[in-house]
Amino acid sequence: MSTFELEIWDDEAEKVTFYTVRWEDASQSETDKFFETQNNIDANATQTLLSLILDTIGTDYGAIGDFFNRFEENVTALPPQGRVVVGELMLRYPNFPLRLYALRIKNREDLVVLFNGGRKTGGTNMESESLNMKFIEAKEFAKKIDQALQDGSIVIDEEARMLRSYNGSKEIML
Amino acid sequence: MRSKVAQKILDETPKDVRIFVRKYGDIVVRINQLLREKGFTQKELADKLEKRPSEISKWLGGEHNFTLRSLSKLEAELGEEIIYVPKRESFHVQVTASIKATVKRRRYAGNQIEFDHALKRKESTPSPIPMIA
Repeated sequence: MSTFELEIWDDEAEKVTFYTVRWEDASQSETDKFFETQNNIDANATQTLLSLILDTIGTDYGAIGDFFNRFEENVTALPPQGRVVVGELMLRYPNFPLRLYALRIKNREDLVVLFNGGRKTGGTNMESESLNMKFIEAKEFAKKIDQALQDGSIVIDEEARMLRSYNGSKEIML
Repeated sequence: MRSKVAQKILDETPKDVRIFVRKYGDIVVRINQLLREKGFTQKELADKLEKRPSEISKWLGGEHNFTLRSLSKLEAELGEEIIYVPKRESFHVQVTASIKATVKRRRYAGNQIEFDHALKRKESTPSPIPMIA
């Protein structure tokens, strides 16, 4: 997997600091790519999902489980063996089409990494080809972040509600 | 700091969309809280509501939209309010005020005109300025 930067996507919300990932040579983060693309297709659904993230999760409740569908994946390559949980952010509303993949850092409700996502076009997410690709990609990002948390390359700054590199820097390359 | 893309979309988001999402989130969280507090499983709730468990799963999983009727059934079974609508009594306020004024006659050009007579003049006609003490 190529190098990517873990960068702040939003730290203005009252209860959660949202991170995103950006490929080293990319001009946009994966989450910005998702929102910009989807906004051109279906502005209403995109606005709804954004409001869920910034208003409901970021301001009202924090990243509680009620708003995440969870997919658990074993991380077999890691010593010690751990589990990383990639969640899917969606509004639990009939036929809501958008899915955005996310990782709650150490299952906390105040630190979330947002990845990319897509539209659910099939009966299941696995049948929505582009969505499935983004899910696989999100799992790879999540594994690498989880590994960095375990080996100390990333540390949680509790007071500032943010992540830092092992040397205290805000810039995190993985 | 907020992503510029996010801020732009948020700025374009109609107020009603944000209100809807927040209220919907409130309802989802409230129902899940009550289920946990009461220790109901979805099957138990389905039995109480005389519905199939798959139907309850769809309600709570978001595959069915909540209606006022379905929320009322849930409130009845869970025994607590899910939606609270504030009630206000309507009222009227009657304002009574009195103004005490002394109206004086004004003398000009050797002619005396009662003040109330002057008020009846057309606006376009220059009129003596009433003096109110």
